[in-house]
Amino acid sequence: MTAPASVGAKSRTLWGDAWRRLRHNKLAIIGLAWIVFVVLMTASAELWVPSTFGDPLAIDTAPGASLQSPSFEHPFGTDKLGRDVFSRVVYGARISLTVGVIAVSISLLIGVLLGAISGYYGGFTDTLVMRSADVFFAFPYILFAIALIAVLGPSYRNVFIAIGILGWPSIARVFRSSILSVKENEYVDAARAMGASDLRIMFRHIMPNAVAPIIVYGTMSIGGAIITEAALSFLGMGVQPPTPSWGLMLSDAKSLMFRAPWLTIWPGFAILTTVLSFVLMGDGLRDALDVKMKD
Amino acid sequence: MSELLEVKNLSTHFTTRDGIVKAVDDVSFSLEPGKTLAVVGESGSGKSVTALSIMRLVAEPAGRIVNGQVLFKGDDVLKMNEAQVRELRGDRIAMIFQDPMTSLNPVFRVGRQIGESLILHKGMTRKEAFERAIELLDMVGIPHSRERAKDYPHQFSGGMRQRAMIAMALACDPDILIADEPTTALDVTIQAQILELMIEMQERTGAAIIMITHDLGVVADMADDVMVMYAGRQVEYGRSDDVFHRPLHPYAWGLLDSLPRHDVDEKGVLVPITGQPPSLINVPSGCAFHPRCPYAREVCRADVPALTDIMDGHLSACHFSADSGFHRSVARPAGEVA
Repeated sequence: MTAPASVGAKSRTLWGDAWRRLRHNKLAIIGLAWIVFVVLMTASAELWVPSTFGDPLAIDTAPGASLQSPSFEHPFGTDKLGRDVFSRVVYGARISLTVGVIAVSISLLIGVLLGAISGYYGGFTDTLVMRSADVFFAFPYILFAIALIAVLGPSYRNVFIAIGILGWPSIARVFRSSILSVKENEYVDAARAMGASDLRIMFRHIMPNAVAPIIVYGTMSIGGAIITEAALSFLGMGVQPPTPSWGLMLSDAKSLMFRAPWLTIWPGFAILTTVLSFVLMGDGLRDALDVKMKD
Repeated sequence: MSELLEVKNLSTHFTTRDGIVKAVDDVSFSLEPGKTLAVVGESGSGKSVTALSIMRLVAEPAGRIVNGQVLFKGDDVLKMNEAQVRELRGDRIAMIFQDPMTSLNPVFRVGRQIGESLILHKGMTRKEAFERAIELLDMVGIPHSRERAKDYPHQFSGGMRQRAMIAMALACDPDILIADEPTTALDVTIQAQILELMIEMQERTGAAIIMITHDLGVVADMADDVMVMYAGRQVEYGRSDDVFHRPLHPYAWGLLDSLPRHDVDEKGVLVPITGQPPSLINVPSGCAFHPRCPYAREVCRADVPALTDIMDGHLSACHFSADSGFHRSVARPAGEVA
């Protein structure tokens, strides 16, 4: 008796397949590599950055120490207070990534929960949740963020709370629509006929089939959250000096843009590449998680 | 013999924008342990909704069971609370769905999925349930069951998926197995295998089966009793032999005439039932079948015929079934259709 072809072959999973497809997407891999690089740089910063290039907060008032152009000693130059720009960019990544990840986590937590309830139960609950989302959409995003910060007070913590709260409506919408399409499947009826409870059906049978769009959207949102943090900090509503934040560095550098261009170029470059990386990754994930695309 | 399931005057209605749809209208039947009841009728005749109503799976709030009793071992399922019904579902009454391609969750391994009801109802651990799932896969004739249990549904063929569905339904050793057109989505050769498997499983587990189908061949093969539905109502109900040998209702005659047959030397072509199934919102007055019935008279337009016991437990809802002169010209021997 001959075994069917697939017996003995490695069982393929959704995630296994997705990873294989992602690997072939060059742009997504470049994005992923850059994110990993930035994370490693900033996570290991304590070990090598202050000793080699100087503490990001160390103000050097010695004559000639401020506004140095890039050199071996200070690869990205120094700012008007004599602080090493490279060291500040590396430490700034910490702020940006933390804000990005935590803010999006808050959005996901609220958005996924509300989106799931909305999509699964429908009716009045659905109307209530979706109309509240519409209210959020009705305000200009950045103005709403500024207003929230104005109420909460400008601080590092309040930045990600504000961005997190503002992010949920889109997540809820995306997740709701994905739940709506998944719950029509016969296997959901089958699960109910098996005696599964609402919660079990929701979490075990519907959600795993509905998360793909959320993973994509969440990844891209991290980029968006980083931009928003930079914008808020640039406007003085976000992270407060002297904490190194990319947006804050740009803000400090704007009057010196022509005298000391390195002050704007490097933080700008960091924002651009990091945000782009998240978007490319999200784009790659979208293709990779689409089960209809067969290699 | 004591009844395992007794359905009395069941009515399920759906509220739609165009009006109320009486998907199931005053349906009564009973099921004995280990027996098979076939529910036949065209699409939209209320077969599936009847089955869903028994398990209280009609989609609310659009659909509502407005009347009747569903007595399972004497307890009214319609009066149970949500938790009690959940205990029944999958454990005592299990269901096999029509399309095996979409009835298995794509993200779970087959063995895990079969084991789920065991975790839910029998308090097994994941590992125990998985082991039992392997035995069940073996039982429904899936080779290399231990390896296959680790596969995902998309790695199974249609026939194998339906076998897996049957294994899933049988996991808790249910008293009643409801099969909603279990072979419709399958190839003809696979259909026969699946039916055979169901008969075999019934002998082995002693489960009663409610078989929803529009394939009269399936009915002849398996059923002890037959219920014919039209426009949400029962039009004929009785023992399988009676319904095949001596069908009483003109609609049942029509169904039998529209079957291809190879047992008699008839050069005749198939005789379809003329007209369209009625809209369930605007059910024809009187007997719902009268616009398509070649024998319809005035009374058929005016009065709804009651389902009456014509002879010894063979029921029909036709004004003329009781007339001795009103019977089908050529009776077809049962068991030789299809």
